Amino acid sequence: MKRKWIHPEEPQTGKRYWRSPAELEQRSEFLSTLGVEFPAGDTLTEEEAGNSRRDFLKLMGASAGMMGLAACRRPVVNILPYTNHVEWVIPGKSLLYASAMPTPTGAVPMVVTTHEGRPTHLSGNPLHPVGGGLDSFAQASVLDLYDPERSQFPTIGGKSATWAEANKGLENISAEVKKDGGASLAVVVGRGTSPTVQRLLGEVKAALPQAKLFSYEAINSAAQNAANNEVLGATTKTFVRWSKALRIISLDCDFLSLDPVAGETIKEFTKQRAQDKPSPEMNRLYVLENRYTLTGGMADHRKPLAASLIPAAAAIIAELLDIKDGSALAAAAPAGLKDWLAPAVRDLIDNKGRSVVVAGSRHGAEVHALVAAINNALGAYGSTIELLEGGPAAATLGTAAELETALASGSVKTLVSLTPSNLLFDAPASVAKSIQEKGVKIVHLGHLPNDTARAALLHIPAAHYLESWSDVRASDGTYSVVQPMIQPLYDGTSEIEVLLALLGRKKIGPVEKPADGSAPAEDPAYQAVRDTFAQVAGSLDETKWNLSLRDGFLKGSGYVKSSGVINAGAVAGIVSKAKAPTAPSDKALEVVLTPDAGVYDGRYISNSWLQEVPDPITKLSWDNAAWIGSVTFRALELKNGQMVKITVGDKTLTLPAIEAPGHVQNSITIPLGYGQTQLGFVASDTKGTGRGFNAYPLRSAAAEFVLTGATLEKTPEIYQLAISQDQNTMEGRAVYREGTLETFAKTPDFAVKTGLDSHIPENISLYKGQVGKKTETNPDGFDYEKKHQWGMVIDLSKCLGCTACVVACQSENNIAVVGKDQVIKGRLMQWIRMDRYFAMSEWGADKAKSDEVNIDPTAEQLENAEMVHQPLACQQCESAPCETVCPVNATVHTDDGLNAMVYNRCIGTRYCANNCPYTARRFNWFDYNKRPLDELYWGPLSTPEKTGVRESLQLQKNPNVTVRMRGVIEKCTYCVQRIEAAKIKQKQTQRDSKNFRVPTDTVKVACQAACSADAITFGDMADRNSAIAKVKGFKDEKDPSKDLPEHPRNYELLKYIGTRPRTSYLARLRNPNKAMPGADKIAAWSAHQN
Amino acid sequence: MGNFFPRWTNWLPLKLAVAAGFIVFGVSLAVPYYFTPKYTRVGYEPTQPVPFSHKIHAGQLGLDCRYCHSFAEVSSHANVPTNQTCFNCHGPGKGNIKASSPKLEKVIKAAETGKPIEWVKVHKAPDYVYFNHSAHLNRGISCQNCHGQINEMEVVKHAEPQSMGWCLECHRNPEQKLRPLDQITNLNYKPEQLDRSGFYAGLLKKGVKADEIAATIKEGSSAGKLEDLVALAVGKYGEKVTQLEVGSQLKKHWQVQPPENCTACHR
Repeated sequence: MKRKWIHPEEPQTGKRYWRSPAELEQRSEFLSTLGVEFPAGDTLTEEEAGNSRRDFLKLMGASAGMMGLAACRRPVVNILPYTNHVEWVIPGKSLLYASAMPTPTGAVPMVVTTHEGRPTHLSGNPLHPVGGGLDSFAQASVLDLYDPERSQFPTIGGKSATWAEANKGLENISAEVKKDGGASLAVVVGRGTSPTVQRLLGEVKAALPQAKLFSYEAINSAAQNAANNEVLGATTKTFVRWSKALRIISLDCDFLSLDPVAGETIKEFTKQRAQDKPSPEMNRLYVLENRYTLTGGMADHRKPLAASLIPAAAAIIAELLDIKDGSALAAAAPAGLKDWLAPAVRDLIDNKGRSVVVAGSRHGAEVHALVAAINNALGAYGSTIELLEGGPAAATLGTAAELETALASGSVKTLVSLTPSNLLFDAPASVAKSIQEKGVKIVHLGHLPNDTARAALLHIPAAHYLESWSDVRASDGTYSVVQPMIQPLYDGTSEIEVLLALLGRKKIGPVEKPADGSAPAEDPAYQAVRDTFAQVAGSLDETKWNLSLRDGFLKGSGYVKSSGVINAGAVAGIVSKAKAPTAPSDKALEVVLTPDAGVYDGRYISNSWLQEVPDPITKLSWDNAAWIGSVTFRALELKNGQMVKITVGDKTLTLPAIEAPGHVQNSITIPLGYGQTQLGFVASDTKGTGRGFNAYPLRSAAAEFVLTGATLEKTPEIYQLAISQDQNTMEGRAVYREGTLETFAKTPDFAVKTGLDSHIPENISLYKGQVGKKTETNPDGFDYEKKHQWGMVIDLSKCLGCTACVVACQSENNIAVVGKDQVIKGRLMQWIRMDRYFAMSEWGADKAKSDEVNIDPTAEQLENAEMVHQPLACQQCESAPCETVCPVNATVHTDDGLNAMVYNRCIGTRYCANNCPYTARRFNWFDYNKRPLDELYWGPLSTPEKTGVRESLQLQKNPNVTVRMRGVIEKCTYCVQRIEAAKIKQKQTQRDSKNFRVPTDTVKVACQAACSADAITFGDMADRNSAIAKVKGFKDEKDPSKDLPEHPRNYELLKYIGTRPRTSYLARLRNPNKAMPGADKIAAWSAHQN
Repeated sequence: MGNFFPRWTNWLPLKLAVAAGFIVFGVSLAVPYYFTPKYTRVGYEPTQPVPFSHKIHAGQLGLDCRYCHSFAEVSSHANVPTNQTCFNCHGPGKGNIKASSPKLEKVIKAAETGKPIEWVKVHKAPDYVYFNHSAHLNRGISCQNCHGQINEMEVVKHAEPQSMGWCLECHRNPEQKLRPLDQITNLNYKPEQLDRSGFYAGLLKKGVKADEIAATIKEGSSAGKLEDLVALAVGKYGEKVTQLEVGSQLKKHWQVQPPENCTACHR
């Protein structure tokens, strides 16, 4: 008898999770995509496709000819061994090096995987005191190294030049600035903390006492620094201990993602959110912000609040703590803000010494001063916030504002730009104006031939951090040496080398071999780093040097505890200077400029992985857009992608709008960094007109990120945005589960009591496949004795949704980038889909009771929607629906529980993808790996430039994973290459013994290694000591008393369809404060929720 | 109406059918023979740029395979040696053996220019096959099993088909090929030459129980000491040690379970 499983009814009441307002409201634009696994592409004419009939005949003729030829002779393949052996290199094995990536706020410690000298993959350095995972920027930075659109030769006056000419030019400049003691010279560096750069800047200052030194980056924290200098002292650094913080208020601070706060790693924060047993030690996060950030998504209580009102919120918190300094600022606060804040602050006071308030770096000095006073009153300093002594800087650097003034005064004649920012693109317009008017000569060091490079007298291609010697200090001060993995691909040069050249100690560019054949002299940059190391370590101890190269950091080099005290008196002074905030209105909107989750401040514009990975909040790829909250969006009757003209003062910007649930009204958020023109295809599109829209010109000062008094005008034009939020849907089936700490205490197994999991009928299938554990009663099951059994668990309490795993997977598994057009057609190839759901449990009274599926939320409800993330890749079902429909056995099960994908067998019927209930399979519609993205549609007989392969990009590929071709399905394989490598390694040690099992928890899959929140657990379920067995449970056949129980929060997606996935999830916990308004609605759960 | 077709055409359809039958029969015999690696690969013997003789080095001189293919036991890839390896014996200032031989001309030139010698690949696994040397060499599979009697080849040739079917044959019945680890690079290994009591003593020394060994020789039997095992084996396999005897013991006691899953080779 055939049994048909009926999917559970759509819920009429209670909580609903949805990805887009269109899905929530069941609009036709959403419904039309449902059930269509592969949206149809637009049809191409023969000419567009590049295949005319003539081409077809040519092709047929050629292939017939080649068939004959191929039969004649076996193609000769050569083996080219090394002539002289390379130290450490074993052909076929990867080599790992510890290094660190310099970032604006410190460093990301990492381990670099290299294959025969090519860095291919990056992962976090777990040994490092603040090491852990990587963010998506660090993860993707390896692709920048191989970027074919990188700057590859120096230019002088815009024309390409040789390195000899560039050296000559630099010599001339340094000779010229020497004449007046450097009075006409300005050197601009980034926020980076390279101690060697600082030391060399000190030397520049000593050699040229008149020279001006500045620090400039587009995204900066100038106001925060100014406030901290006054309140905490110039050399004091803060370090937040998340592990000790039980109650946290974030004032528009995205500390989990784009606005990092110096402190312990994110996993120390998430560790407290993942509870095995209900415990009061779970932290509680309150967030006030204008738009959704990943931090806001993690919040237990979130208040959408205009960014211009953050000072008011800070003032109210201060008031509640009896700090009266900010009373004037509190006046503008909207009704209800104080009611919302009062119980939250009460909660913080109740946990004095275990609470902390953090504020976004974009905000003014008054906010940071108040927050310092608040934290002081909460007893945070010394407990949740460590004060560290940073030591005096080797050189004092001017701010961006001072740079503007210096340029305007005309005293600067030569500007040496070493900052990773793009000065002429992202600095306020007055900078470009002064440079042009005063005829300032620019020497520019950069990765891309961008605006500043084109305007520069001398542009020098920068070396990637994987190509050069440097050093960094992490947020806790730990010193790391950045070591080169590869000779500069395009002879680029580093910041340190340019400074050395300015000091006359080195030439830039490729090292010339001495004519007499002797060994080249020691690299001065290497020497410079070693000198700094000697300073930091106390002496140049070779053992210490080698150890810190091996471990990736110098042990014990972190900042020491500071004896500094809070200068509470300074707070009042700073706050009194601040302007009272005004609430934005529909006549005077506010515009908030934020770093972009893909391109940051624009520096990653040429990185196709970052461009393509959907923004974690809006799910937008390849573009930026104005995020507008539902209230404003609907009041203006806008459509997604509709162009809007935003005017701030005398500056305007026209860009597409996107509806952002959870975004506060009368506020617009625009991610920065887009709109760079005349770069390559990835950065600027085929026509070079730029991708996205440049919001930098809207601001008038470098420290201005919240603009007020803006107006918005609708235009009829619609711009096509690549939003993937409604692609690969699971048709609204309840897949996300969450509950509160209270629910967890009352019903520990609430996760499995959600949905129909407890009503699943017994499996009476006649199919006796390989399912479950092999026992006497189940002889066909999986063998737990003689095989590994791989499984994965993702803890939704920990997952932020940052998409670092998506990029890590892309880097490890050679996943192709498809380009904007293909994303629009739903052809994203990323194996991990970071599903972002909004959720609401509050409905209009009429609709909630009606029988209609349509639910009409009010715009205000949309403004207060919750947001959650769920990463989803192939679930490795034991009883996999994809396998039964493959006509060629290209997807089959292995004995260790993997749902294997055999690319060389796949003929591309796509039946498997159609049958996958999780929509986790991807199809190669084109030869993405063989063609430049803008030439996908050309036939194989078109010109070589069109079908050519970018050679440098091939260097990044992981040699242990097949590079898939057109017409093949692909999907997550649990990094089978890593599993096989581990098993083979075990065979090497096992040799003639029986011990086949790989050591416990030694296989780390790429997403797991990348996760800074530690949300992913992977391992051998048949190994009772493994971390995964502790979550999934373990049955001991011999001694049932030794059974390990299953984690109470563990649940499987769509369990009722009986696929038995090997990947499961731990339901998310939230910890709402009962005293807060609306606390009962948060993560509301009822036993038969869906 | 006259007859357009002459009389003999009456038989034409039948003749054609019979001929077609022969052709189909012939093709169906030819394809499985000529279109398989057994025919297309075996015997491939390209001329190498340097007339290096494995017969002299591995056969007459008895150099261990791993002297040159030094990473075969640790890496997926059995490396072709660098020039420095050749020069350990032939190089100036080292052994300087046959330094003036014209056969070494390209080796010397490569050392001078730094440009590698372009050896011609004989055994090529397709790109979608991830073969790993170390997994096999560490678990009782010899070089000879896949590459043949290299020590007798003047010029290396493809000795085995190395097709998927051929791989699986051994993965399904590893006992036909397994040998003790110290015999891996012994290209002249014959199980008959093994010392039976030494072999079993080795297993016992590794901590394998005598009863288990006995049970592998003959189901249900048990043994107390080495002599019993030898006696049991003589009874089962005869005076000389056989491959099946060695193979089944090693398979059992090393837990050799060659993967038959696709992911073992295809990723």
